[in-house]
Amino acid sequence: EELIMSSWLPPKHPIVVNAFEPWAEEVEKVTDGRVTVRIMRKPLGSPPAHFDMARDGIADVTYGLHSFTEDDRFNRARLGQFSFLGDDAIANSKAYWSIYGGELDAAAEHEGTHLLGLFMHGPGLLHNNLRKIETPADLEGMKLRVPGGYVGDLVSTLGAAPLFMSSTEVYEKLSRGVIDGVAFTYEAMTAFNLVDYIKYSMTVPGGIYNTTWFFVVNEDKWNSLSEEDRAAIDAISGEAFAERVGQAWNDADTAAQDVVGDKVEFYAAGPEVVGALRDAAGTLEASWAEGLGEGYDGAAALEEFRAMTGVSVE
Amino acid sequence: MTQPDAGGTAPSPASSGGRWGHRRALWYRLLADTSALLILALIGVTCVDVVGRYLFNHPFGGAYELTQMLLAALVFAALPLTSIDGGHVEVDLALHLLSRPVQRVLGRLAGAVSAVALAYFAYRLVLIGLDQIHDGTRSASLALPMAPLAFLAAASCAVSSVAMILRRETQ
Amino acid sequence: MTISLIALAILLGLVFMRVPIAFAMAIVGGIGFALLRGWAPAGAMVGNAVFETGLNYSLSVVPLFIFMGNVLAGSGIAQGLFSAADRIFGRMRGGLAMATVLSCGGFSAVCGSSLATAATMSKVAMPSMRRFGYSDSLATGAIAAGGTLGILIPPSVVLIIFGLLTEADIGKLFLAGIIPGILGIIGYLLAVMVAVRLKPELAPKVGEVHPMTRADAISVAAVLALFVFIMAGIYGGFFTPIEAAGMGAAAALVIAFLTGGLSRHVLWQAFVESASASAMIFAIVIGAEIFSNFVTFAGLPDALADIVEDQGMSPWLVLLLIVLIYMVLGCFLESLSMILLTVPVFYPLISGLDFGVEILADPDALVIWFAIIVVVVTEISLITPPIGMNVFVLRSVLPDVSLGTIFSGVYVFWVADIIRLALIIALPILSLYLVA
Ligand code: NA
Ligand code: NA
Repeated sequence: EELIMSSWLPPKHPIVVNAFEPWAEEVEKVTDGRVTVRIMRKPLGSPPAHFDMARDGIADVTYGLHSFTEDDRFNRARLGQFSFLGDDAIANSKAYWSIYGGELDAAAEHEGTHLLGLFMHGPGLLHNNLRKIETPADLEGMKLRVPGGYVGDLVSTLGAAPLFMSSTEVYEKLSRGVIDGVAFTYEAMTAFNLVDYIKYSMTVPGGIYNTTWFFVVNEDKWNSLSEEDRAAIDAISGEAFAERVGQAWNDADTAAQDVVGDKVEFYAAGPEVVGALRDAAGTLEASWAEGLGEGYDGAAALEEFRAMTGVSVE
Repeated sequence: MTQPDAGGTAPSPASSGGRWGHRRALWYRLLADTSALLILALIGVTCVDVVGRYLFNHPFGGAYELTQMLLAALVFAALPLTSIDGGHVEVDLALHLLSRPVQRVLGRLAGAVSAVALAYFAYRLVLIGLDQIHDGTRSASLALPMAPLAFLAAASCAVSSVAMILRRETQ
Repeated sequence: MTISLIALAILLGLVFMRVPIAFAMAIVGGIGFALLRGWAPAGAMVGNAVFETGLNYSLSVVPLFIFMGNVLAGSGIAQGLFSAADRIFGRMRGGLAMATVLSCGGFSAVCGSSLATAATMSKVAMPSMRRFGYSDSLATGAIAAGGTLGILIPPSVVLIIFGLLTEADIGKLFLAGIIPGILGIIGYLLAVMVAVRLKPELAPKVGEVHPMTRADAISVAAVLALFVFIMAGIYGGFFTPIEAAGMGAAAALVIAFLTGGLSRHVLWQAFVESASASAMIFAIVIGAEIFSNFVTFAGLPDALADIVEDQGMSPWLVLLLIVLIYMVLGCFLESLSMILLTVPVFYPLISGLDFGVEILADPDALVIWFAIIVVVVTEISLITPPIGMNVFVLRSVLPDVSLGTIFSGVYVFWVADIIRLALIIALPILSLYLVA
């Protein structure tokens, strides 16, 4: 049986090379060649379409970000998109798989597919080329590219101007001064060639943001596999995949930090900035938890998450 | 060869009847005016964004998204115009070897085949729109609902489908 | 591989039965995908392709660059360019034809399409050349060939689409087109000189030098100003290449109003024709997306890569074969459809090759060089019989000139193009000098 996988990241992207491709090879190994995975040379649709593509069977296996499109489908998935969640992509991804995949019932939000993985990357930083952010007032008027609604709300509470654009546009806009900074990971600094246009990078304990990813297979296709093969594939997916992809993100972050070296000034956010961010984040977390409705305790989930990754919020 | 109207190559809209008679129809003028306004709006969004950024240090946060949506609206507003004007890129090279009546039949057949494709596009777009209503799909920064755009696109493909059947012989 | 080839044959059959290429690609791609993958997934794939193409931010440059060219074409700037160019060459045999080539190059700097360049320039250059007794073949040949420069000299709709297909930097692609574009102008000028030397009856001995009017000077200044505005805006870091289209369109409107050459009716027509042309292009992009999803799924790019690997072919031979395929396809296909159909198949192949040239070791440089080669081959296809789109445009503007006459005038320019193509392939630095 051949599983068709559509991949929209560049073929040399670290998580393609170090997580998806090895996973695909291992699928073949653990099923004794009964199941193979063929990764398409070119994606069969736009990146935001990738969840629906697996659900509709355009491809069998896809991955993508929950925040690609704004809708009501992945509300509980936002658990992993808040600030102060964790600095280690492996711990993040394992906690995310365990909690969102467990009590927050991720499977119900991914209807029509079977979950192969849920994961996050390393901590998000706030890069800019204007000034060191020593007090919340330093953020005033700063034009920042943000990856999604949460970070946008967070920084606009502190007076910055959030801007949305695709990640590939960031280089053009940052180098032209259209934006002053961007919320991104270490890895993105080199992946998008931004080093020359960033002067200061502020780290926040546990990251200022994170993104959450799904890795799914079409449900009918999944059910057409033998029980034995499904069990074998599940064994190398889920938590095992969280470990694998987390490692890939961590390695990518380390490699990027080596390349950047001292070309950018990395500094930890001071207590005043962290405090202001916490206040803003607290409000946003509470309103998210409230919106989850009956049966899901968002606040408890966040607390459990931080306990698992060892980040203290106070 | 039927040339696409890639800028300045279209014959002027004749003031009376003939091949361009449909250009006086109300629906055509309505869509043409809408398209013109949408292009103007696209230009406007970029200018407001770029000029605002330098003169007032105040970029227009929704520029990216608004550009996307205006573009989609423009393309689908203009699709019926292209379809009825015979503006799609066609190759009629081999046809000159055939007799006139055969050419005409083939032309009608090609129109019908295209109409089927467009009707199918319309059907799929309705499904996408219904899906988006169900999921509450909206744009990321301005939180504009996406479904109306899908229904606009569906209507456009449906009208274009009819236009492909109605279009006059262009030879 | 077999199924891809069968599909390709059916596609060509539909196209020759006059089914618009956009719908032919959508139908063959959709049905092919359904046969391999099932009807429900194919339907969903088609729906996605239709809906999402319209939302593609980068494609916003298509209506805006076309609009910019249309506004300038409608405001009489082409006439000014032509008259000004005539001042340079007017005293030479074939001077008007040379002026045509140069003013086509100038107009290309503000127009993103080859067809629009040819159509616009034919309206101003043809009457003059006829009045002075130029042969129709040389006159139309110069316009058809000069018009092809529209997609190589920036801005260029084709380069933008190439950039979208390959994720190459559009700003760099624009820069890369400048030197090959200037080479093109020089080559065409030489082609005119050679042609009138071989056959003096093609052009009168000495033309008449038109006086350069104030309006002509304003036209030249306007084109220069707009080109500088766009290039300085992009490379000076004021706006992105995508935003340049909107800014350029706004600037073109300002110029048209300042020079007063644009009537309300012509302006309205520029709007509607730009919208209509954009819808036509988007329909093709949608069709190509559907078709290329099918081809990818059917494994054609993989199969080709395997063949190259198994045969142990040299990268240069692969490139040469690809160029030959383009030349053959170029006989039959229109430029945009050709690029959309082939780049998804050939680009993955080329990007994996090592040409053993230092400057091409950088993957970004390799894709830019390949882009320029593809655009130049596409330019050639625009004037290659039996289907040369530029020639057809001329034919529709000048119904009394036969296709045979136009093609007979085009061949000297075609030879110049082939020489230029060889130079660009042999010397990647020509495309990469301004980029590096
Ligand atoms: Na151009
Ligand atoms: Na041709």
